Amino acid sequence: MPMSGEFKEKILAPLMSISTGKDLKFVGKSILRKEGIDKVTGRARYVDDVKTPGALYGKTLRSSIACGRIKKISFAPNIPWDQFTIVDARDVPYNRVLQIESDQPVLCDGVVLHREEPILLIAHEDPGLVETAIRSITVEYEREPGIFNIGEGRILKQYDIEEGDWKKEFAAAEVVFEGEYKTGAQEHVYIETNGFIACWEDECLTVHGSMQCPYYVHKALKYAFKLQDDQINVVQMTTGGGFGGKEDFPSVLAIHAALLAKKSGRTVRLIYDRAEDMASSTKRHPSISKVRTACTKDGILRAIDFSFHIDGGAYITLSPVVLSRGIVHAFGPYKWPAAKLHAQCFFTNSPPYGAFRGFGAPQSLFAIEAHMTALANHLGMDPAELRRRNFIHRGDTMPTGQVVDEDPNMEALLDRALELSDYKTKRARWKRGGGKGISLSTFMHGTGFTGSGEVYLASRVGIATTKDGGAEVRVSSTEIGQGTETVFPQIAAEALGIDISKVSFRRPETKVVPNSGPTVASRTCSVVGKLVERAAGKLKQRLAGADIRQHYAQHGEAYEEVEYVPRPGLVWDDDKYKGSAYGAYSWCVNVAEVTVDPVTAMPRVDTLTATVDVGTIINPVLAHGQMEGGIAQGIGWATCENVVLKEGLMENHHLTNYVIPTSADAARIVVEFMPSPYSEGAFGSKGVGELPMDGPGPAIVSALNDAMEAKFTHLPLLPEEMLK
Amino acid sequence: MRSFGYAEAENAQGLAAALGKGYRIKAGGIDLLDMMKERIDKSERIVSITGMTELRGIKERDGGVAIGALTTLNEIARDETLRKAFPALPDTVCNAATPQVREVATIAGNILQRPRCWFFRQAEYNCLRKSGQACYAVAGDNTYHSIYPMGACHITHPSNIAPALVAVGAQIIASDGKNPKSYDIRDFFLTPEQDLKRENKLPQNEFITEIFLPKMPEKSAYVEVKEKQSFDWPLAACVATYADKKWSIILAHVAPVPLRATLAENVVGEKADIDENLALQAAEAAVKTAQPMAYNGFRVHLAKAVVRRALLKACGKDFHA
Amino acid sequence: MHDDEQSDVQQAAFRTSRRGFLKGVGIASAATVVLPGLSLGQEEAAGTPGLKEFGSGPLEISLKVNGDERKLSIEPRTTLLDALRTKLALTGTKEICDRGSCGGCTVLVDGRAMVSCMTLAIDMQGREITTAEGIGKDPGFAPLVDSFCEHDAAQCGFCIPGILVRSAALLKEIPNPTPLEIREGLAGNICRCGTYSRIFDAVEACAKKGGVA
Repeated sequence: MPMSGEFKEKILAPLMSISTGKDLKFVGKSILRKEGIDKVTGRARYVDDVKTPGALYGKTLRSSIACGRIKKISFAPNIPWDQFTIVDARDVPYNRVLQIESDQPVLCDGVVLHREEPILLIAHEDPGLVETAIRSITVEYEREPGIFNIGEGRILKQYDIEEGDWKKEFAAAEVVFEGEYKTGAQEHVYIETNGFIACWEDECLTVHGSMQCPYYVHKALKYAFKLQDDQINVVQMTTGGGFGGKEDFPSVLAIHAALLAKKSGRTVRLIYDRAEDMASSTKRHPSISKVRTACTKDGILRAIDFSFHIDGGAYITLSPVVLSRGIVHAFGPYKWPAAKLHAQCFFTNSPPYGAFRGFGAPQSLFAIEAHMTALANHLGMDPAELRRRNFIHRGDTMPTGQVVDEDPNMEALLDRALELSDYKTKRARWKRGGGKGISLSTFMHGTGFTGSGEVYLASRVGIATTKDGGAEVRVSSTEIGQGTETVFPQIAAEALGIDISKVSFRRPETKVVPNSGPTVASRTCSVVGKLVERAAGKLKQRLAGADIRQHYAQHGEAYEEVEYVPRPGLVWDDDKYKGSAYGAYSWCVNVAEVTVDPVTAMPRVDTLTATVDVGTIINPVLAHGQMEGGIAQGIGWATCENVVLKEGLMENHHLTNYVIPTSADAARIVVEFMPSPYSEGAFGSKGVGELPMDGPGPAIVSALNDAMEAKFTHLPLLPEEMLK
Repeated sequence: MRSFGYAEAENAQGLAAALGKGYRIKAGGIDLLDMMKERIDKSERIVSITGMTELRGIKERDGGVAIGALTTLNEIARDETLRKAFPALPDTVCNAATPQVREVATIAGNILQRPRCWFFRQAEYNCLRKSGQACYAVAGDNTYHSIYPMGACHITHPSNIAPALVAVGAQIIASDGKNPKSYDIRDFFLTPEQDLKRENKLPQNEFITEIFLPKMPEKSAYVEVKEKQSFDWPLAACVATYADKKWSIILAHVAPVPLRATLAENVVGEKADIDENLALQAAEAAVKTAQPMAYNGFRVHLAKAVVRRALLKACGKDFHA
Repeated sequence: MHDDEQSDVQQAAFRTSRRGFLKGVGIASAATVVLPGLSLGQEEAAGTPGLKEFGSGPLEISLKVNGDERKLSIEPRTTLLDALRTKLALTGTKEICDRGSCGGCTVLVDGRAMVSCMTLAIDMQGREITTAEGIGKDPGFAPLVDSFCEHDAAQCGFCIPGILVRSAALLKEIPNPTPLEIREGLAGNICRCGTYSRIFDAVEACAKKGGVA
């Protein structure tokens, strides 16, 4: 399909000029999204689009208290309950949801630890009757006081880092500066709510659903139902957004749907409505950080003392790894001669917090970046200059012990971002408190799982020849909007040396595709993509130049599978929490320009400029889309997305009262890629999915501070707070 | 949504009969279906009046303008006559809700819509307006609640268009199927002090047929402040009109009814041209009686800002700060 | 690509078990449960002049969708969104908020864009309804569909059929919209992947290339 002229000029032209250093046919090209036309015209099938005649509709009865015991459950007498399928904790073969740990019950077994905790499941053919019936069940509780503040409850996970003689540095420092930084929860608002359809036959279970990680669901089903691998098939339907919200949470839903299906002997649909989804699903962990830094009068950083606290909610879910990613990013892209970090995640009686784009890094990066700007103001320096004096370089060691063996090039990214945004002129012209502000953030994001995660995952990727002379990529990595179905065929076609039209992407289902790991942590394109590249290379070798169609006719399907091998020299010690946390980092600079109405304090983000190194760009239009989308979510988190918590529950769990940016609010977003390829990523690529979420928050809050002559250190920063 | 009996009214007589049988009216249906989906409105019978096309349209009549009850917000937003004669009126609705909602939402439905208070809108909260014992806004999150106390319930009136109609003293023409009834919109809305369960005086057996604007103002302006630019009710808004040497200054979305800022009107008096200084004095007078709750004090500033800006805008002046 | 995805779904189930996924098929509603307060006076159909009463139970109606006259059985409470999705298998119209605030369920009714979740199906008889599927098949709108694809306006894609429908109506109303008109015109549709600028560009480019017919 031809591209329109304007689009070519505005977005593609600058991207097209990116050189990958090699003569590549498909990698680096803006190949149009393969599933695009089906999505645009409504033909793509999401889970709720599947027809299941005769199926039952499921619904979940949830706790209305945050902490306590269930005394009694009563069913109103005038309902023919025998016509409903009702499931409680006793119906679960092993009443635990397996995530990292298995502390979370599938259904409450007497004890309630958070609002909206699932107690009963109920199903009927008529969805309207399920709704009525569920309101006819009364639960009596014995309430206990809950814990809702970070730091008051039990510790869920803790890490400590000490590097260099930080005490001495602070004692001898010319300048010591400290601040406290807070970030709020954030709701994903993936546009498609969570949903699963489950059915059983002959002790075998099939679930179709909206998800990021089919094998996580598989693992959780296996555990709760005590099944063998081959008794379960998890099928991903076209998925309407995830952003982390469909990483761990779908496992709970899949078990629930399967329980109802098992008990009723029927196919069961469990599709959440928006209010239930927003109230009961995971959110971004709220955080409180205390940052104390020592530096010279010229702004040369000497030491940092960082305390990082996050709210984990009532169960462990993914909190330990969210905390871990937060820690590694807490030091920013700066060189620290000495560092101390104390990080804790606490249990509270909130619904469990979970993965959300960035996964702990946006929280700690908000703290360090807001701190750097505040420190610059304290020193009377330009915030850009303070950063420039302290950037990390090749050969430097991060406080976690990783020696930087790539060139971060932060200076180049910074220069270009300042130039694109005309930072210096605007900063000189816009008076503090004059209603307009410009500020920045400089940051990085690790590609793939933290620490030894990728080694444990041992991801596998398969590729097979097809009858029509092409190849099929088989992975459990899902398309959730980011373009997996297009990027992997690009990589495979390039490595195989065949046309991209000949490469297809197998929709993930666990019976068919190998476990290439979860679709999280900015790992799909770079880490899994590298495996696709290797598998395709292996297949090419095996074909030895033979025509695929003929080869298939003679030998049938040729299939090759490869497994992840860690980069040589990449070592991480889990016990000491030391080593190389990531194989590579993506690097980025953001400049935010804002306008605030001086009377009403209503803010507007006018322009957000990003200069980015995410390695080789496999598909410029898709990579650009990831940047724009992440920045838009970052803008929302900074300016308007306020999760109002009452006893841990999101009180504003409707789209009418949880404010996310609409088209009428959309900011101008300028993105420029400055790639430095990464040897272990697919064709040199690094992670792009989460990076854009990290920078807008601190850049915007700092710009708003300039515009309003204020010193706010938290987000979301709402107009009513600026008016006070 | 719960099951309900359904009927279609073809004319006033049929509609009156339906009301007699306990049917509840559905026009555009936007607010009613929302309330039913949330199980707050438990109507068991719904009568659709979308077929009564005679209730639709904007006509000039008797020196004024008559707007049929079923005229949609988009029709009002696009109407050339209103745009010229009374720009503040289309301005109140041209960014209300969303383009798709404005396509079906009617003027009568907008006037009669139920409060947006989030406690009222959730079945879990049995609040005063739903026959309960407490107003949850008193101790809960009251960011979006009233800043002018008018009784035990702290809703704000949600209608976008009502303040403009109040400003020009529109008449609400209703019918019981036999006789037309007329209500002065300035005394159509009920404060919680007057009635905790109803927001207006329209009896159950009557329906609105048209809104009559007897006279167009010489000057008019509408200013609102919103958190997001779509599907959002303003945090504060103001309509200012000038006619017959008198200003009408109506504050919206800050009190349980569209609020006439009489103190502000007294400040500006007969003056046709208002300068910055006078606008500011009027704005200060308008919020003199405001008594914000724990979380909504900032909206007093917003109320002040919209009054000042509406007055300046009506006089064709800039209000950059 | 996924034209026959429906059968894919069934095949996937069969891989796990032979009869599994279709187990429910053919079992008609076993029993209709009547709950208190849910059955209402069909008996009152007796004539009142000017009032047509239909009761609350299932009704046969006819809707004109994408040019075809379709007969279906609904209840008065059935929204147009539910009727399209569950009765007519037109699943391109999406439920996102079910409260009229997101635009995911936008359809054209007599050429005007409306939210089908806040519209009763029974109220739509005799009107011309067009869904995303209808736009997708209409050659007059092909330039708009192409423009959406070319600009990569869809990421996860869930919001996009509704945005396509709203954009179609917008270009019919205003053949050459200004950027502000596009922005405001699309204000009733939310996208969380953040492709707004792509969508604006797609609509603008389509208009500049001759628009829709």
